[in-house]
Amino acid sequence: MFNSNPFTLLTEFLPPLVMQVYVVLMIFAVAIGTAFDLYHKQSAEFFALRRRQSNAAAQRRLGVGEIASLAIRTVGTEVATSGEFCKWKRRVSHLLMSYGFVIYLITTIVMVFVYPTAAHTPIILTAPWNIGVLMVLIGGCWFFFFLRVNVAYEGHSPFHLMRADLFVGSLLASVAFGLLWHFAQTVHNGATAMVLFGLYIFFTTLLFVSVPWSKFAHMFYKPMAAFQKRVEEANGSSDLPRPAASSNIRR
Amino acid sequence: MPTYTDMTKCDGCGECVDICPSDIMHIDPIYRRAYNIEPNFCWECYSCVKACPQHAIDVRGYSDFAPLGHKVRVLREKEKGSISWKIRYRDGRLKEFTFPIRTTPWGSIKPPSDYEAPDINGLTSPMLAHEPAALKVETLPTLPQSGM
Repeated sequence: MFNSNPFTLLTEFLPPLVMQVYVVLMIFAVAIGTAFDLYHKQSAEFFALRRRQSNAAAQRRLGVGEIASLAIRTVGTEVATSGEFCKWKRRVSHLLMSYGFVIYLITTIVMVFVYPTAAHTPIILTAPWNIGVLMVLIGGCWFFFFLRVNVAYEGHSPFHLMRADLFVGSLLASVAFGLLWHFAQTVHNGATAMVLFGLYIFFTTLLFVSVPWSKFAHMFYKPMAAFQKRVEEANGSSDLPRPAASSNIRR
Repeated sequence: MPTYTDMTKCDGCGECVDICPSDIMHIDPIYRRAYNIEPNFCWECYSCVKACPQHAIDVRGYSDFAPLGHKVRVLREKEKGSISWKIRYRDGRLKEFTFPIRTTPWGSIKPPSDYEAPDINGLTSPMLAHEPAALKVETLPTLPQSGM
């Protein structure tokens, strides 16, 4: 299973071009959905306003080098290591999901576009595809059943669903059915594989076309919010009080 | 003047939901971020404001210390045992205050659930459960028996 390309067997009844067009359509769906989300929620306007207010209240101007340094720190902390989470469990589960998703996405695109009909796909692609899916499933199930704030703090059932679960729910269902479909193919169970493939495509499509209604767009605006926070701290326009000068703790 | 959450700063950790004594800080079903479901019932105790690790909850202060049009921000530093307030008045003036909130390290006080269940014979004693050890003293002063 770890050394087979799940998309190669698909070409027996589906031309590679159809798969490639589907991937391109999903990329467009995410781009259009994100643009609509930005327009509908006025996120771009909000951040532009915050930037104007921050510049007006700034106690000093930041140089290009300083801004670049803040951007690099944002990418290194908030984007690469999910540093915005204050609880380590959520941070680990988020890292598993985000890196797993990126690995799964990249290997899927390469396999669909470069090796759609290859008899042997390099294991450097097939193994990470499975590992990425497993990472998403481990991090996602941990989050979904134990760490979701409404489950952990509001006493909701782990199976309680609400609109905020559209993104994580469709992501989990998509990769889970993708893995099961791959497994059914490797054990040569054609009919089951077809049913699982249908479910995989349904939830994958739901994941990518539901961007305007789901939390998918958070991966674009959260780094922006983190960067703006760092800029406000650096230029002195943060509205938070200054840190206390001394400690009151007596050890 | 109740609390409100800046959803771009909130990371949905649930600390405010946990600490709110009115149980009015809840999780939004669309964005999974905290929000005040019933501002009219807010006691303005600011527990959520102080507890929020992301400083995402803002307050509108009482009119006796900050008239309308102001902004109040709070910073809790548990490693320093202090809480600082910054008030921006509607005429642009800024005031900052810092107060000590404790002198012992955060998490160093044993919660009641960590103590052993008290002995039933303790009911005959004037001491409360785990006294005097829990008060870190050897004995507590008592009233003289004679003349009572």
